Amino acid sequence: MQKDWPDILGGLTLAALGAAAAGWALAHYDIGSLRRMGPGFFPVALGTLLTGLGLAIALPALGRQAGPRPGFEPCAVLAVLAAILVFGLGLFRIGLVGATAAAVLIATLPAPHPGRVWRLVLALAISALTVLVFGLGLRMNIPLWPRLS
Amino acid sequence: MTTWEGLMHGIGFALQPGVLVYCVLGVVLGTFVGVLPGIGAMAAISLLLPITYYITPEAALIMLAGVYYGAQYGGSVASILMRLPGTPQSAVTSLDGYPLAREGRAGVALFTAMASSFAGSLIGIAVLVTLAGWLSRAATAFGAADYAAMMILGLVAASTIGSTSPVKSFAMVVLGLLLGCVGTDVNSGVQRFTFGRTELLDGINLVALAMGLFGVAELIANVRDPDRQGVTERIGLRGLMPRRDDLRRLPGPILRGGALGSFFGALPGTGSTLSSFLAYALERRVSRRPERFGKGAIEGVSAPEAANNAAAISAFVPTLTLGIPGDPIMALMLGALVIHGIQPGPLMLEARPEMFWGLVASFGIGNLLLLILNLPLIGIWVSMLRIPFRWLYPAILVFLCLGVYSVRGLTFDILAVAAIGLAGYLLALARFSPALLLLGFVLGPLIETNLRRAMLIGRGDPMIFLERPIAAGFVLATAGLLVLALWQAWRRRAARRRG
Repeated sequence: MQKDWPDILGGLTLAALGAAAAGWALAHYDIGSLRRMGPGFFPVALGTLLTGLGLAIALPALGRQAGPRPGFEPCAVLAVLAAILVFGLGLFRIGLVGATAAAVLIATLPAPHPGRVWRLVLALAISALTVLVFGLGLRMNIPLWPRLS
Repeated sequence: MTTWEGLMHGIGFALQPGVLVYCVLGVVLGTFVGVLPGIGAMAAISLLLPITYYITPEAALIMLAGVYYGAQYGGSVASILMRLPGTPQSAVTSLDGYPLAREGRAGVALFTAMASSFAGSLIGIAVLVTLAGWLSRAATAFGAADYAAMMILGLVAASTIGSTSPVKSFAMVVLGLLLGCVGTDVNSGVQRFTFGRTELLDGINLVALAMGLFGVAELIANVRDPDRQGVTERIGLRGLMPRRDDLRRLPGPILRGGALGSFFGALPGTGSTLSSFLAYALERRVSRRPERFGKGAIEGVSAPEAANNAAAISAFVPTLTLGIPGDPIMALMLGALVIHGIQPGPLMLEARPEMFWGLVASFGIGNLLLLILNLPLIGIWVSMLRIPFRWLYPAILVFLCLGVYSVRGLTFDILAVAAIGLAGYLLALARFSPALLLLGFVLGPLIETNLRRAMLIGRGDPMIFLERPIAAGFVLATAGLLVLALWQAWRRRAARRRG
C-alpha cells in the first residue's frame, strides 16, 4: 500500500494550472463589471474554481492509502508520441511516403512481438495505403517524395 | 409541416443514394470499431470529423450518428463473445451475455442484443419525434439566462450523476471550460491565451483536441496489448434462433429498458452508459427470480441493449432543439455541425427540416440495416476479433495525423495532437474523465456568451437567474444535484470511518 499519487499529483497540477490561468487573465485582460463582463471575467472565475477543485482532490488524498499504482508505459508513450512528432515535422521535409514509413517503424518499436520483417512489411503496406487514399484519392496537397532541389 | 409529413419527407431524403451510402458507411464503420476493443465511438467519431468537411452537413450528421449507434451494437458483440466491452455502454451486456456464450448460447445472446437494440431504437425515435417538436416550441421562450442555467445544469449533472468521484469529474469540466476560452474573445476581440500564436486565434482545434484525448490516448494504452485469445466456436445463422420461451421473455425488458433509456437520454448530462446500467438494475429488481442475473439471464442482455440504443437516439433531442449537447459524443456532433456553420437550436426544425427529419428517418433505416447486415456478417465480426491490435494501430496513427492535418492544413495541429494525447493518457491513468473535458470545452463559449448576455440584461444583478421561472427551475435542480453529491460524499466518508 502506498499514497494515492495519481490524485495528489493530478490535483496539484490542476490547481497550479487554474492558478496560472487566473493569474495570467487577471494581469492581462480586463475583468469588467458584473453588468458588463470583460474578457478576463470568465477565465479568472474558472481558474479560481479549478484551483479550489484541484486542492479538494489533492489534500484529502494526502492522508489516504491507495491500491497499486496504475501502470505507466514509458515505452508506449515515447514511441507513439515520437511517431506523431516525426510524422508532423517530416511531412513537408521527407514527403508523405517517408514520413508514413518512419512513423510506422517508430510506433511499432514497443509492440509485444518484436520482429523486423512484419514491421517493414507493415510500413510498406501502410505507406502504400496512405498514398492511395490521401494522395491519389483525396488529392491532398502534400508532397509524396522528398524534394531534391 | 406535420409530424407525419415530416417523417415521409425525411424517409425520402434518407433513401437518396448519396445519403444512404453515408448511412451504411457509418453503421458498418461503427460496428467495426465497436467490435474492436481499444477504439471507442468517441475515437472513431473524432477520426471521422475531418471527412465530414467534404460532404454535406446532413450526410455528415447521418454518418456520425450511424457510427454512434453502430458502435453500440458492435460493442455488445465483443462483450458477449469475449467479455471485452468495446464501448462503456456495453459493459453491462457482458454481465449476462458472456455467461450465455459460455453455455453455448452465444447465438441467442447475439440475437437478443440485436433485436433489443432495434426495438429500443424504435422507442427512441418515437420519443425524439414527439418531444422535439414540443421542446423546440417551448425553447422559443428561452432567454440567455435560461440557456446559461440549463447548460450549467447539464455540466453538473454529467459530472455528478453516476460518477465515482464528482470532484474529479467536475474539475475536468472546468478545465474544459477554461480551454474553451483560448482564442479571440467574441465580445471584445481580445486574444486570450494565444501567446502570440496565430494558430490559436480561432481557439484550440476541436478535432485535434478530440483526437488527442481519445485517439492518441487509447493508442498509447493499447500498444502493448498482448494478442487476444480468439473465439473458437463457429456461429452460424441457425445458432441465432432463440427458443420460444426466450422470445416470451423479451417484450417486458425491451419496453422497460427502452422507456428508461429514452428518458435518461433526453436529459442533458446523462448519457447512454448510465441508462444501460439503470435498465439492468431495474430488470433485476422487477424479476421474480433475481438470482439468475449474472449467470446468463436473457433479460440482462435485452434491457440494457434496448436502453442504450433508445438513449443514443433521444440524446439528439436537446442537441438538435436547444443546441445543448447532453453528452460528449453529442458535443462532437454539435462541433461537426458548427464547422459547417449550422447552430442547432429551436429554429432548426423550421429552417432545416430535411436535416432534422432526414436524421430521424436515417435512425430507423440505419438500425434496420444493422439488423439485416449483421445476421450474415456476424461471422466476419467474430473473425475480426482475431486481428492483433499491433497490425491496426500504426495505420490508425497515420490516418489520425493526416485527418487532423486535413482540417486546416497546419502541421501545428499534428504537433498539438501529440501534446494533447500525452495529457489525455496521463488523465486517463489518474482516472480523470477526458470525455467531460471535451463536453466543457464545447459548451464553454456558449455558456460564457449567454452568461454575459444574461448579466447585461439583468443589469449586473444575478437575481435574473431566480426571477425567470425557467432559469430558476434549472438553478434549483443544479443546487439539488450538488447537495445530493455532497450528501453522498459525506455518507461514503462516514462509512469508511466506521468500516
